[in-house]
Amino acid sequence: MPMKRKIDWAIYAAFVVLVMLLPLVMDAFWLNRVAKYLVYGMLGVAVALSWGYAGILNLGQGLFFGAGAYMLAMSLKLASTTSLQQGSDKPVPDFMLWNAEPGAPTELCCINKASFLWLPFQSQWFGVAMGLILPVLLATILGTIVFRKRISGVFVSIITLALVLLVRLVVIDSQPVTNGFNGLTDLGWFNVAGLEFDPYIVPTYYLVAVSLSLVLVGTRLLIDTRSGLILQAVRDDQNRARYLGFDVPAYQTFFFAVSAAIAGFAGMLYVIVSEFASPTFMDLTFSITMVVWAAVGGRASILGACIGAILINTISATVSETEGFAEAWKAIIGLIFVLVVLYLPRGLAGLAHDFIDRLLARKPTASPQALPVSETSSQLAE
Amino acid sequence: MLEVLFIGLSLGSILLLVALGLAITYGAMGVINMAHGEMVMVGAYVTVLSGIWLGTNIFVAIPLAFIVTALLGLLIERVVVRRLYGRLLDTLLATWGIAILIQQAVRLEFGLSFLGIHLQGLGPGLQNVAVPPFLQGTFSILGADINRYRTFIILVTAILALVTWFIIYRTSMGTQVRAIIRNPRMAAACGIDVTRINALTFAFGSGLAGVAGVMMSGFKTVFPDMGTSMVVDGFLVVVMGGVGSLLGSVLSAGILGEINGLVAAATNDILARAVVFGVVIAIIVLKPKGLFALKGR
Repeated sequence: MPMKRKIDWAIYAAFVVLVMLLPLVMDAFWLNRVAKYLVYGMLGVAVALSWGYAGILNLGQGLFFGAGAYMLAMSLKLASTTSLQQGSDKPVPDFMLWNAEPGAPTELCCINKASFLWLPFQSQWFGVAMGLILPVLLATILGTIVFRKRISGVFVSIITLALVLLVRLVVIDSQPVTNGFNGLTDLGWFNVAGLEFDPYIVPTYYLVAVSLSLVLVGTRLLIDTRSGLILQAVRDDQNRARYLGFDVPAYQTFFFAVSAAIAGFAGMLYVIVSEFASPTFMDLTFSITMVVWAAVGGRASILGACIGAILINTISATVSETEGFAEAWKAIIGLIFVLVVLYLPRGLAGLAHDFIDRLLARKPTASPQALPVSETSSQLAE
Repeated sequence: MLEVLFIGLSLGSILLLVALGLAITYGAMGVINMAHGEMVMVGAYVTVLSGIWLGTNIFVAIPLAFIVTALLGLLIERVVVRRLYGRLLDTLLATWGIAILIQQAVRLEFGLSFLGIHLQGLGPGLQNVAVPPFLQGTFSILGADINRYRTFIILVTAILALVTWFIIYRTSMGTQVRAIIRNPRMAAACGIDVTRINALTFAFGSGLAGVAGVMMSGFKTVFPDMGTSMVVDGFLVVVMGGVGSLLGSVLSAGILGEINGLVAAATNDILARAVVFGVVIAIIVLKPKGLFALKGR
């Protein structure tokens, strides 16, 4: 393994260890906050994968995040105590009852015209499964259409952007099923074999932390596979990859769907940690903000984008404690963003890479002639 | 029915008002200016501030807003956008940062609110602009009640579209702009000062947004975030119409406006907007170059 690769993995390991050790020094309140930021970090991973590696700037990542969030939130809504106390054997969401037509039966099947859609969500694991299936399905359909038609660059961004806003409006308009603008609040706790994931306990933090670590390492391994390398070839020159005989849309769609799955997963974790799902997840601002995190951290680095998201949000939270400074901080974020795009297009990860390169160049670890030999031998070993 | 069609026309003219500037900056310069909506917002605030501090009405605000936003646009082009030509998606990201900066500048009253100084008409709150009496109310044609202010917007939009058309197609500067749209390097080789023309084009596009802001202030509440959704609508119009085609933008604004008006009359405003997004997505998927695309060379 070349030195740089070793360092790369060492940094990943260090990050994971750091995240795992945080509960030793933090109280429950801050752990809950950090868990949210780790979820944002996972969104950073999703953005870096689709933007940095697939070359697809998805300005509608919130669609997949929101889809995952709503699917699990529906299950957790049915698990909440208020839903159980609506005068029916089966749980019924409270907002459906408030808006029910007079005389409508207090049953989930038929309290309003579309409420039957909620029936399977009585099983929490159905919600969890749908939280992954729906984003992947949406991404696969969208990707197949868009990439088969060889739409690329800014047009993909505009399509994804319009799509997330479209879905947001439909969700808001479908008040009887989704509770419209208000979203789903007052949720129950995620429950695994009797262990309830109260957002303010350490196991919930670990649920998020372990998930993030797995996603990070999994994504990092994925981009090193053969398909990952082909994907990067597609990003750098689509036509060349096509002439070489690769099925370009298939690779793009696959990684687009993986990115969607990660975002959907993040959405579910967010619901567990924050106990609500709302149409704001599908706001334009949120989707672009994710891209900002990834850009500051480093669009072409999985870990960089993740750290970028966590860093920006942690600093925001710390700074916002000071009264009146929160708004100024937003302006500073805007400024940082302009500066990053202008002077640091590879983000913080780019800086780190240059730094490591310089360290390696200065420190003669092996004699210049021995180095290529060891590299070829390691390649042979692979 | 006539009323519904009129509402559609009026919605279309509002879309076009925002899209005109974008059609120029995006079409001619390949810059996705996410701060365009903030230019509209600044134009609206110029109306508010000139009303409060100078006591003038929106007719005075039109040239004033044009000048202020054009200068602001020139500044943005000189400081940021100039370094990003050819990096389309990076212009999107950088101008998003600028958009946040402009929003916060208004919200924090240029930082004065930290010193405890408050300017009337700025800050995070909502502002309203009084429209002159003769533009208020309705008049009736063929039994349909037509809103005066909406008619005024349609007129102003038509005038601006004509002025823009004249500048682009009938002046020497416009010829240079069109040459840059087709091929910037070849244009430069023919002796066109691309940097200068780009700066002026960007300023002009921003100025148009400022005028759009004046119009908006007459019937919408003015607040720091008002531009964010407008820029998206504007882009959809431009992309659907075909990048670099003024006529395409005009027609697609009209089509989207009418669709919005008709669906809204049949169902509600939220669904109408959703349908508009759906139509735009379908058109981009079917014709990624837009309805009336220019052939680049």
